[in-house]
Amino acid sequence: MIATRQQRLGNFAGLGLVLVAWVLYAVYASPTQGWTFFLQLTVNGIILGSIYALIALGYSMVYGILKLLNFAHGDVYMIGSFIGFGVLSVLGGALSPAIPVVLLVLCMFAVAMIGSGVLGLVIERFAYRPLRNAPRIAPLISALGVAFFLENSALLLFGAQYRNYDGYDLISFNGIHIGGPTGVFVSYLGVIVISSSVALMVALVALVRWTRFGKAMRAVSFDREAAAMMGIDPDRVIATTFFVGSALAGAAGVMFGLVYSQIYHLIGFIAGLKGFTAAVVGGIGSIPGAMLGGLLVGMTESWAKGYLNGNVADLVVFGILIGFMLIRPTGLLGTPALQKV
Amino acid sequence: MLKKLGAVAVVAAAISVAVSTTAWGSAKGPDRVSAAAAAKVTCGKVRTIGVAAPLTGPAASIGVEQLHWAKYWAARWNRKHKSARIKIVSGDTQLGVDTAFAVKVAHSFASNSKVLAVVGPAGSQEVVASTSAYKGGSLGFISGSATRISLTDGHTDGNRIGYFYRTVPNDGVQAPRVANYMIKTLKWKRVYIIDDQETYSQGLADGVQAILKKNGVTVTRDSISQQASDFSSVIAKIPANTQGVYIPWQLAPQAQAFGQQLKAAGKSHVTLFGSDGLFSPDWKIAGSYDSFFPVSPSNATVLAYVKAHNGNGEYFGSPSYVAAQVDTLAITKACTLGHGKTTRAAVRKQIAKMKLKSSILGFPVSFSRGGDLHSPATFGIYQIQKDGTFKPVG
Repeated sequence: MIATRQQRLGNFAGLGLVLVAWVLYAVYASPTQGWTFFLQLTVNGIILGSIYALIALGYSMVYGILKLLNFAHGDVYMIGSFIGFGVLSVLGGALSPAIPVVLLVLCMFAVAMIGSGVLGLVIERFAYRPLRNAPRIAPLISALGVAFFLENSALLLFGAQYRNYDGYDLISFNGIHIGGPTGVFVSYLGVIVISSSVALMVALVALVRWTRFGKAMRAVSFDREAAAMMGIDPDRVIATTFFVGSALAGAAGVMFGLVYSQIYHLIGFIAGLKGFTAAVVGGIGSIPGAMLGGLLVGMTESWAKGYLNGNVADLVVFGILIGFMLIRPTGLLGTPALQKV
Repeated sequence: MLKKLGAVAVVAAAISVAVSTTAWGSAKGPDRVSAAAAAKVTCGKVRTIGVAAPLTGPAASIGVEQLHWAKYWAARWNRKHKSARIKIVSGDTQLGVDTAFAVKVAHSFASNSKVLAVVGPAGSQEVVASTSAYKGGSLGFISGSATRISLTDGHTDGNRIGYFYRTVPNDGVQAPRVANYMIKTLKWKRVYIIDDQETYSQGLADGVQAILKKNGVTVTRDSISQQASDFSSVIAKIPANTQGVYIPWQLAPQAQAFGQQLKAAGKSHVTLFGSDGLFSPDWKIAGSYDSFFPVSPSNATVLAYVKAHNGNGEYFGSPSYVAAQVDTLAITKACTLGHGKTTRAAVRKQIAKMKLKSSILGFPVSFSRGGDLHSPATFGIYQIQKDGTFKPVG
């Protein structure tokens, strides 16, 4: 499902032209002019996009291996954010942490990732595995059922109130000023989110490319039956894929809580749809595509909020999803599936 | 193939029977509702009040607060009135999803002959959508949060005089109070207003914006979804010389997140000003202003509520306490006058006549013909202190 070099070049040339035209308009022609504003929105979009990219990776991995759109993935991310909040609360909260902050943040990530990963395993085992040989609509409906189940379970367990991570209180309100005090500002928290996302994505790419599990995963993705005949246990590979994808969603949930503070039982719905959009834009099934798609969706949303209005940000993002579905349904880095004849 | 067709035909026939039965049922619905509306109910030892609030969905946090306060009133009442207890039944209106849920709840209350009066619904759009169902059931309904001015004028959004009441001052009271405080006391010249795309928020934002503009204040208007968490792009748009940002929102944690992101973006010199929806310990950005009923957090009833709810004030829901109080007193009076029996119409009559000399909201409660608070209390202005408490400043 990987695009050829020529197709990629064509895609990037088209995307590049659109982006250049957009930058020129935004900076020189829009009512809110100036490079600083544009770059500030871009940085904000990269931070948001890093989170979307992590969610999109889960969608892409599961789709790549099972051809299943796991619509419960957004809610795994929500559960991850609640687990991270739980760890933060147990260890004293943002204003009076009981252990060093670095250790606390690492604990939040670790527990949320493991918790979300295990949840992913459970979902795969009980909601998808029994339907593996059923028509493709069955697991899709099951996925929607799991999504509602998780949302309402969270409502029951944690209540309807919004919870605040107070991440800036925990880490720092300070950051880096690029271009002087009136220039572009990147908070340390933003830096942490971007660098953690990049680290996780690199680790995932390494896992898929250079490990035995990665090789097995690619084999199962390519042809499950043939992989089984070669001695690979597809069930195990699929379960591990769910674990890894869900763990990434858990990490994204904690990052979201730290940067944007408030979490509640429905945050997974829209975030899941944005992650799905990112996966489609990048080319569903492609890991680099998910990353690229996440960043593009994040930046687009940020630009739309900045140059247009908060009302229309989602309209623009989902408009892009529709546009890609119509013009290039395989996304930027995906290719059409070959039909066996 | 024929077997399959036969099966399909049987299923289709079954569906059509079910649909026609349902249709017949719904056609008969108004009769049942009318019967419930006209029925003389034996008051007995337990009287029922319906609470229509968003208990799930995006505005669940607000609805749960309202239900908590209504139940809190019932619990306090029931401790002292064993032979005239109040039972609360709740209906989930899912505010922000679809007003059809509010209408369904209204129909369920209207067709339940035990329900004698209602608290809610929460949103002005829900009030408009569900009015005919409540009127059909002859039910009086008292909202603790629907503030659209036109709800009580008897013509703009429909006529609900004699049925609808509210225990909150409308937008026409709060907006001038806030705008005048910004102009006269804070001397603001440049204000940024962000509504949260909900009817409540947009109404207040419109009101404040109009008065500020009329008085020569430079106003920039923006909007962000009530479900938004990422405010960075909106914050980037706020000019550095802005003195204040008005955020008439309903979710205090959202305002807290906004304040933190504003500070993190290096704009901590910009002061926030919230509305009654944000009067909560969850919003603790020191130096911010807020308008709210003159409710005293040190009031014994309020303190007891906070203690019973793990330290959460949930003050936005407090008008629903007063709404439940009015319903209860009206039912009690109607039952007394009817010698142990009453009708919904009799209860409505008592709601219209209700006069509470004081309430936990800090003002007396009685209603105008349209259903507004008779002598609207002025809103208090509070400033958040470093310890997170709200200090009255105006």
